[in-house]
Amino acid sequence: MAGVMIVEDDAALREMLRDSLEKRKYTVITAADGREAISKFRPSIVDLVITDLLMPEEDGLMVIMKIKEMKPSTRVIAISGGGKAGPGSYLLMASKLGAEHVFSKPFLPSELVQKVKEMLG
Amino acid sequence: MSGRKQKGKAEVRQPGDHDIAGTAMDANRLAGGIAHDLNTILTTIYGYSEMALESLDPSSEAGRSIQKIIEAADRARQLTARLLDLDRKSAEDKQQVKVSDILSDTLRFLMPPARENISLSLKIGSPDLVVEAIPSQLFRVFMNIAVNAFQSMEDGGGSLTVTLDSFIEGEGDKPGKGRTAALISFADTGKGMDEATASAMFEPFFTERGNRGGTGLGMAVVRDIVTEMNGTLKVRSEKGRGTVIDLLIPAMMFGSLPEKS
Repeated sequence: MAGVMIVEDDAALREMLRDSLEKRKYTVITAADGREAISKFRPSIVDLVITDLLMPEEDGLMVIMKIKEMKPSTRVIAISGGGKAGPGSYLLMASKLGAEHVFSKPFLPSELVQKVKEMLG
Repeated sequence: MSGRKQKGKAEVRQPGDHDIAGTAMDANRLAGGIAHDLNTILTTIYGYSEMALESLDPSSEAGRSIQKIIEAADRARQLTARLLDLDRKSAEDKQQVKVSDILSDTLRFLMPPARENISLSLKIGSPDLVVEAIPSQLFRVFMNIAVNAFQSMEDGGGSLTVTLDSFIEGEGDKPGKGRTAALISFADTGKGMDEATASAMFEPFFTERGNRGGTGLGMAVVRDIVTEMNGTLKVRSEKGRGTVIDLLIPAMMFGSLPEKS
């Protein structure tokens, strides 16, 4: 089954997303911040990354850049709620870096899971 | 420019400078921050509610209870949207903005388009400089200048060095002698310009890119926004060697803001 990495600093949301995806039989790896995500990323396992953008240590934009360097074919979904440069700016930046879909919190996790299903076939 | 670069010296603000409008803006920003955190929690509530409903008969007592939880979450979502709207409106107002934050954001945004033969570096000498600006506009200023620099290096490669320092203005500088300003310099090693081109680069519809895209409006927008902030722009360029654009914007040090009572 395809592998998904979830990068989210809020523990409850991270676990909820893990539960949702594992229920659909995806192999799930989680990370609480960007640095952990980069160190845990395995190109042979992870096909898609769901990453929050505003996080301690390395942020989500850095995660997208590093992961795309390690495995350019990795699919990316960004989730966030804003940033210093103005509302929507971080999600816009994530799109420019290669995130194919962006979800602004709060979102319906069923819609995110549906998007993962479409992207991974 | 007749002033001098200075690190660590702050303009002293007077008590009362932090007015009611500023306090309201702080409250809106706080509301926005809380709404952001609540939206994260709401996403978790939605997720587990949806999962519970998958294994329940929606018409059962438990199923109806879960529906009520989702309805309550919907109401909370409307409330957080209103709080974020307040914050959003504040973001479109002029506010005190840390130059180093916006500069870092901008350059991070630009890093991937930088090709293998273009390097980018940021040197922040005064991380605590604050200017009065609309954050998205300051972002646009930095972005347009940096993109222009990249375009001047797209054929032959090179480097863009961006620096931020505090600057005490001297005789003849705007906005005035002795005032603190943020000096932001974008120095590229691109193809450079002759004097006529350099003096026209901030005019609307001026472009050297021909059919390679570009409206010729990017640098005109930069000039308008910087002028609106009572700032100045200076260009030094040499054909074949590169260009330096200096922005001087009235500023103060973050640490010099008065304590709120």
